[in-house]
Amino acid sequence: MKKLLIGLSIVALACSTSVFANGASETKSSEAQADSIYVYNSKGENAKQFAAMCAAYETETGVHVKNFSIGSGQDHMATLRAEMNSKDKPTVYSIQGMKELPEWEQGGFVQDLSKVTTGDFGKMVQAIPEGLRLSSDGINSYGVPYNVEGYGYIVDKAMLKSLFGTDPTADIQAATYSEWANFVTTLTSWIKAPSKMDVTFNGKTYTLAASKDALSSKLNGVFVVTGSEKWTYGDHLLNVAINSVFSSSRDAASATDAQVAQLESSFIRYAQVLDLMTSNLAGADGPAQRGQALVSSSKFGYDQGVQIFAQSKALLLKQGNWAYGNIEGVDSNMASRLEFLPVKMPYEASDVKVNKSIAQLNSSIPVFVPNYYAVNALASDAKKQLAYNFLYWLNNSKTGKDYIINKFDFIPYNADPSTTTVPNSLGNSIISYIDSDNTISAPYNGSPAGWSGDVVGKKVMEEYLTKATWATADYKAIADYAVQKWQDMN
Amino acid sequence: MNIYKKWFWPLVAPALILFIAVILVPFVVGFVNSFLAWRGTYYFNPETNSRATNILQSFVGLTNYKEALQDERFMHAFWYTIEYTIIAVIAINVFALALAILLDNISKGAGALRTTYFLPNMLGGLALGFIWQFIFQIVYTDILFAPDSILHNEFLRYMTQNSNKAMFALVILNIWQYAGYMMIIYTAGINNIPVDFYEAASLDGASAWVKFKKITVPMLMSSFTVCLFLVIANSFKMLDQNIALTNGDFNTRMLALQILRTVKDTTPPNYGRAQAQAVIFFVIIAIVSITQVRVTSKRELEY
Repeated sequence: MKKLLIGLSIVALACSTSVFANGASETKSSEAQADSIYVYNSKGENAKQFAAMCAAYETETGVHVKNFSIGSGQDHMATLRAEMNSKDKPTVYSIQGMKELPEWEQGGFVQDLSKVTTGDFGKMVQAIPEGLRLSSDGINSYGVPYNVEGYGYIVDKAMLKSLFGTDPTADIQAATYSEWANFVTTLTSWIKAPSKMDVTFNGKTYTLAASKDALSSKLNGVFVVTGSEKWTYGDHLLNVAINSVFSSSRDAASATDAQVAQLESSFIRYAQVLDLMTSNLAGADGPAQRGQALVSSSKFGYDQGVQIFAQSKALLLKQGNWAYGNIEGVDSNMASRLEFLPVKMPYEASDVKVNKSIAQLNSSIPVFVPNYYAVNALASDAKKQLAYNFLYWLNNSKTGKDYIINKFDFIPYNADPSTTTVPNSLGNSIISYIDSDNTISAPYNGSPAGWSGDVVGKKVMEEYLTKATWATADYKAIADYAVQKWQDMN
Repeated sequence: MNIYKKWFWPLVAPALILFIAVILVPFVVGFVNSFLAWRGTYYFNPETNSRATNILQSFVGLTNYKEALQDERFMHAFWYTIEYTIIAVIAINVFALALAILLDNISKGAGALRTTYFLPNMLGGLALGFIWQFIFQIVYTDILFAPDSILHNEFLRYMTQNSNKAMFALVILNIWQYAGYMMIIYTAGINNIPVDFYEAASLDGASAWVKFKKITVPMLMSSFTVCLFLVIANSFKMLDQNIALTNGDFNTRMLALQILRTVKDTTPPNYGRAQAQAVIFFVIIAIVSITQVRVTSKRELEY
């Protein structure tokens, strides 16, 4: 009887531990295989296409690529950390710019690719443009860009045509802030009571149509602002203002308190722009105002904002090219007619500390690398070499490029802007900004963790977007808070 | 040999092994990590400002605890959670007991109603949070309590946009989720009270209130022990509903969410500090729950 009991408990033990044993044996197999790498992809949206790309690589080269993509919306860092703690660490993984770099750099997980000077991969790393490089000191280089993304005011070309009868895009791009602000307020009164009204862009006069047509009669406001999404005015709009003082996230990350204080006047401009936007709001059923409804996620969340814009109720939506798919989901015809207009700020000469003119800043859109492929410094040299080969193939071979452009819907970081087109209107708009050298970057990534969205964005959401009228003192209060918090958190 | 004794270990072993593997070991490791400069994937050496080559180099003593207690957000989350727990414990139990007594007194349809009240408890916290977010933001704000409604009430509008209002919003949500569950426990307790007690009391001319105070409450003490414990523990640990309803905006972070977000608030992620907060969190829950169970079980009656 006793023997039977012991036997039974051993069986029970074996059953409960076999779960763990299974997991372990799976990881062993890819570790043991010399001819294989493990690629960790932190973008859940292209999981299927990513797996297909890895399979294509295996077919072409015979190197097995174990790939793992997180689920859409899943916290990619928690999963990646768990993988880094496991025996089978990713050979290639992703880093979301300067925000995530310190952890992997300090922990010794990330290979400095600038040390690779030989071979095609070495040349490719050397050729990554300065502004797109992931570097903590200006010399090292910690990643190969996934792609580039950009944002600005998304506008429907057909709507501009219906308002003006002609295409004013080039002149709007070059317009000054005061011309722009004048247009915004004029358009708001035109929406209320249409008549022939003159506006100027870049010194040239354009006239709004005498009456509304089928498309423009849908408009009920100029801007749609997704008040419950702190990152839209926290991270992204703030970033436009930060570009007047810092030209890269590295500069921002190493800024002294005095340098951060130089942002004060640009943050006042930021508040002015946000005031202009939220004073000329479109909504789902008629014009919207600042107030508690504006920060309610059931009314002005991301999806609701896209919906309002895609139904032509607003002229402008400040978003990035990632919104293309969402807009296409609502109105695929409109999606093919989209382009970006730059976010202009009422700068004065003394605000600008970077080597750019006000006109340049105001005709540019932020273009940046959201994600980098990093190579694990803890991998063996042989594995690292396999990783380099893989990354070179992905960015330079015909098959790799086809996946990046046509399957992932990415804008390749290394594309020649004068000859490349992508199958998406907003992507092409970004490429034309790159081609004309009208781009600014994403220095907000160098601000302290959580500063832009969770601190400044939160303050703006909780205290200002809910407030009906703003005084000049409010601009100053927002700017003071933003500067103070950056200094405190540094 | 007693049959229970013989089968004790074989039957307990699977649960015990799982408990050790997924609760006890991580707890001990976590406790140790709360004294170290742990960054999630490596240990940090504060002296050389780089990765520690030896785990002992990252020993920081009570620094993580000190930083946690000096962290404004942690302390706010701490008091916010305590306030919420006090209100929730009273509100949920009052509702649950009232429902149990009401349903005990009706003969038709009591089973169906019990099932209905219990149903919300089957939903996950996140789903529930999003449902109620919609109710608070649209139904409460624009329909039920809107300015043009006869029920117009500003306090019940935009409940997720204010620290105090959001606390009551969470209480409402949790009453909906837990009251039905607690009601089942109270119902079981009420069914165990011998009817003779009430009959005898009626003969002596006791009013309904006296019967409730002198018979129902003392006889239900063991149910109170269970229900209070469950609500206190659940309120302290609440995370999903907090994330879904407000995501901590408008100063509504509770302790569990604060611990979860600590690693996002810091770069490189300060897992050591988050772990110290978790240990403090554990100690608080342990003290409160043990005290409560001791106090209420002393009052339980044997007859």
